[in-house]
This record gives sequence, structure tokens and C-alpha cells, in this order.
Amino acid sequence: MTTTVEKPDHAAASIVEFCRFARSRGLSVGMHQTLTALESVNVIGVADRRLLSFALRSVLCSSQEEWEQFDQLFDKFWSSDRSQLDSEKDRLPRAAVLRKQSTDSRLLVSAESSDASQDNEGKLVSGASSQQRLKRVDFSEASQADLAALEDLSLRLLRQMSLRLARRMKIEAQAEHIDLRRSIRRNISRGGDLSHLAHKGRKRQEKRLVIFLDISGSMNLYSLFLLRFAYALQKHFKRVDTFLFSTSVVEVSDLLRAHKLSEALNALSQRAVEWSGGTRIGESLREFNRRDGRRILTRNTFFMILSDGWDTGAPQMLVAELRHTRSRVQKLVWLNPLLGLKDYRPITRGMSAALPHVDVFAPAHNLESLLALERYL
Amino acid sequence: MTSQHKAPPADEIHDVDALVREFEQLGYVADTAIATSIYLSMRLRKPLLIEGHAGLGKTEVAKVLASSLATRLIRLQCYEGLDISSAVYEWNYQKQLLAIKLQEKSDQTVEEKEKHIFSREFLMERPLLQSIMEEHVAPVLLIDEVDRADEAFEAFLLELLSDFQITVPELGTIKAKHIPYVILTSNRSRELSDALKRRCLYHWIEYPSFEKEMKIVRARLPGTEEQLGKQVVRFVQAVRRLELAKPPGVAETLDCAQAATALGKESLDVETVVQTLGCLVKSMEDGATLEAAGIETLLAQSN
Repeated sequence: MTTTVEKPDHAAASIVEFCRFARSRGLSVGMHQTLTALESVNVIGVADRRLLSFALRSVLCSSQEEWEQFDQLFDKFWSSDRSQLDSEKDRLPRAAVLRKQSTDSRLLVSAESSDASQDNEGKLVSGASSQQRLKRVDFSEASQADLAALEDLSLRLLRQMSLRLARRMKIEAQAEHIDLRRSIRRNISRGGDLSHLAHKGRKRQEKRLVIFLDISGSMNLYSLFLLRFAYALQKHFKRVDTFLFSTSVVEVSDLLRAHKLSEALNALSQRAVEWSGGTRIGESLREFNRRDGRRILTRNTFFMILSDGWDTGAPQMLVAELRHTRSRVQKLVWLNPLLGLKDYRPITRGMSAALPHVDVFAPAHNLESLLALERYL
Repeated sequence: MTSQHKAPPADEIHDVDALVREFEQLGYVADTAIATSIYLSMRLRKPLLIEGHAGLGKTEVAKVLASSLATRLIRLQCYEGLDISSAVYEWNYQKQLLAIKLQEKSDQTVEEKEKHIFSREFLMERPLLQSIMEEHVAPVLLIDEVDRADEAFEAFLLELLSDFQITVPELGTIKAKHIPYVILTSNRSRELSDALKRRCLYHWIEYPSFEKEMKIVRARLPGTEEQLGKQVVRFVQAVRRLELAKPPGVAETLDCAQAATALGKESLDVETVVQTLGCLVKSMEDGATLEAAGIETLLAQSN
């Protein structure tokens, strides 16, 4: 293990340079952390390179991803010739670095649109009218450039929706207060003196959300955006459970919960999931009800089905299973991207049979329609 | 920061190696990396955020640190909905009302009565306030599973970790006499705010290597047969590669080894695995995944 051969006065400058290097490679290193890095070097010293790397890693990283990247960065900086370090191909483009440093849900940028987004950086200063247009663009018709712009816009608008929902929750939730009425009643026998107090419980957001997402061929284009929507809603419900179906059902809640969205989608493609193929809504719903229904469905659950209603199975099964599910939840919502089409009428056997058993029937074909769901949440 | 916040030097433990040895004596197998993080946290008096999957010894670190410093461990277990009255302080309303009644006939003025009612006697100190009220020596404050609390609580925590003082409206501002050593743990069920992460040193705990896990088994369960221990560790490591919903942590390895020893086994066979399955696997789906992968196959890999 080579020791660093640094003179003490150079050590500080090297540390600062390393911090800058780390930031250029995507670590979120600010002024504060650079100062802490210098302090830690005072404590640990530069003699033992391994200890130094541990110390700097502890100061400069703040997530598992950064942690796993760090050793490579450290080795690269301290062993190679410094002049080679600025090679353009390794540097992250500034836009990507900024995006990485946002606190909220990181959205997936598909391989094609990432190039487009860098070209569009300048054009993203959207005026009100172009925003309106973007909100109305049907997901299936969006061009590559639009998709990239949509990603940024949806990030912002979903964040605003998040804030609104959170504020609503704050207004509803009450800290533990003394329940005066109950206290007085309790103390009637004691002549009205309040020696025993009754407290009001705290009202908490108890709602749960179940998302039942159709990922068969006909739904594919909408699925990605709808998954993002599901992911963004996770903060506002006590619990969000997500299921994907086409001819059978797969639960993916744990993936969406544990990972950033891009990782979740990657992991999804590794799980044996059919992303195209026929659709059997009724059968899938039946499988869900049998296997997971008892565990998942509760009095205060919102059950959201996202599907275009093209069912190759028997409509009677769909109806029966819908009734079963609906009887156990607070609200059953069916989101259908086809409702965005001007002339759409739900006349397919599956959809028309299902309609009377659904509480809310709403479109989900563009950003505007997704945001409109806020009032049902 | 004013001089009263300057931390006294942690002169009990001189360097990282000393910390490793100290922890080893207390039964915690620390690798140099985590020892460095802990040591830095102590010397710089910065909070340390330890993130990682369940069962890997995150909470243990705080306990062992408190023992090694011969100081008190104050633990705050976070949960959704955790608020000021559970985390910081609460007034003992019943006692206050009774005191009011008792004072009815006394000669004190209203101001004196009020001062008495809102005095330390009627204050119920919760963990965060306790941590800054230690008289003699800095305690270790463990904020466990901080990812389960919400953003509002995080914002409050941030303030506390910057100034180490708490304002109780009726009493005034209470400043820490001794800055506590702060350790936060997270299972990463939720992203913590950037501001909080920046305030802390960080350590990601990974699943241990074979050698390390063996060391832990030897340290914590000294009576275990070496052969059995090796098989258990290899088996659990193979199970971890299966991508279960809840992969087994080190705690589960220890449970399994202990159970096998209690059953009088000297080596791990299929029967033993089936009998101790509950130690390793915590849900029906995971059990099914394990059976699908084949217990015999996995055992063969661990021999």
C-alpha cells in the first residue's frame, strides 16, 4: 500500500482539489464538506492512505451510490498524473450533475431522450403557453424532444402537488390536544374539577393506495409515466402497493419503495414480467383478490386500476372480481388513457361491463389528466 | 459557534486502531472503515449517519460506543408521526392540575404559583432533551431508524444538531452542557433530506465478507463448533444472493448458528435448515423463493 508523499502545506491544497474533483464526478460535495474534509485530515493525518480514503469517504459521501463510487474516484485522483484528470469524457455534464442533486424523486431518462434533453436545455425556459401544450400532449404521441421536456415538467408539477398534499395533511392532522368535552364528562362525578383529562387522538393520514397497472402491449406507452406517478405518490399515503398485470399479476411494491425510480425500472425488467402480450384483466384481478386481497385491501384503501379495458377474457369474471374488490375498499378508480380520445366510447365488452362497478372513471393519457387526480386523493 | 460548544477531547481512545481494539473487547467486530467513521465522529463531534439493510449492527455501534466511553446511551426510536411531545418534552398535565388544586388555599401570588407549575418538577424530559441535559459527561444519543420519521421531524432535528439547544417556552432556552455523541441509523426506506445528510458524516454498512462474519460468530457465540459456524455463514451468504425481499442479516446468522447449536447439531444438513428456517427467512414468499432455489443445492455450495 503506497503512502501519499505529500508535504503538509501541499496536503491541504490537494484535499481541496480532490473535493472539487469529486464534485465534478457527481458527488454532492459543498463548501461545508470541504471544510470538514480538511478538519478530518488534521485528525487522521495523511500518512496512511487507506485511513485517509476511509475518512474522506465518510465525509464526502451521503448515499450508498456515492459510497460505492468513491474508492474508484479516490484511486484515480491519488495515483494518476493530475493533468489527465480533466478528460472530458469522464466529466458529467453540468445539467446531469445538477439534476442528481435534487432531493426529490429522480425520474428515469430513457437512453434516447438524454441526448435530446441536453440539446433542449436552452429551450426549457417554457412560457405558460408551451407548458400548457406539454401538459396536454398525449404520452403515446409525444416526440423524443417532448418526452424529455415532459420529464422535467412532470418533476416540477408533481413536486408542487406533493407540497399541496402535504399541506393538506398538516391542516388535517392535529397534535395531541385535550378533548375538553370528554374531560368534562369524565369529571362530572368529581364536581366538575378536571382531575382526569381525556386527550384527542392525532388524526393521521391513514389512506393506502393500491395501483393495479396494465402493462400489456396496448398500455405500454402510458405505463412508464403512470409508474412515475405511482412512485411520486408514495410519500403521501401511509402505504402504496403496486401490482403489474397483463395475463397474470406481479407485485412490485417493494421495488418502488426501496429504490430510486431508475433502479426500480431496471430491476423490474429483470423480474420475469411480460411487458407485452394479451390482456386478461378479470383473471389478473381474480389472482390478486385470492392471493393478496386479504393482506392488501382495507377500509381506507384507494384502489386504482390503470388500463385501457381491452380484455380478452370473459366480462363476467371481470365484473365479479370488480365487485369483490370494490366491496372491500373505500374507492375504486379506473384510469383509462383512451378517455383522452375525443370520440372514445367505452363500448368494448370489458369496459362497458365494468363501468357501473367503478366509483371514478377518469382519463390518464397526459400530464394534465394525471395531475387532475389530485382531487380524488 | 461560541467557545462553550467546544467539545472536550476524547482522550480515552487515541486513534483508529485503539478504537478497533476497544470495540473488540466489548464484543463488536469493527473493520477499519467503520472504526474510522466512528473515530472521526467522536473527534470532530459531528453526528454519524449509518445506513444499511436490517440486521447489520447499526444500532449496536451506538451501544458499544456508549460502553467504551463509559457514558449513558440515550435512545430515540423514530416512527411515523413522532412529534415534539414524544421526542423532546411534555408537560405533566395531570400533576400540574393537582398542584393547582393543592395550591388553591396557599398564600403564594399568582406569578409564584405559575412559576412552580412550570418548573422542572413538572417537565417530562424525552430523549432529545435528556441528551442535552446531562450534568457530568457527554452521553451517546442514538436516533434509531430516522427514515421512519417525517420531514417535519427532520427539520427540527437539523436545528437541534446545529445548536444543541432547545427552547421550552415556559422555561427558556436550555443549552447543552456537554455536546452528545450523535449516531443516526436508517434502513433507507425513505430518502433523508440533503440538509440532514450534509450535516452528518456517513457510513454505508454492507453485508460482511466471509472472514468478517466468521469473526463475528466467534466473538458473539464462542461456544459454536468451528465447522458448524463455517457452514452456517457460507449458507447464509448463499441465501443472500437469492434476492429475497428481506435478506438475512448478521443477526439472522447468529440466530441460526445458536439454534443449530441448541439442537445439538455439529454440522448443517437439510433437516437442520428446515428446522431453523424461521431464523433466516421472514415471510412466506421468501420461504418459497428459498425452497425453489433448493436447500440441498445451497448447502452443497457451502461445503
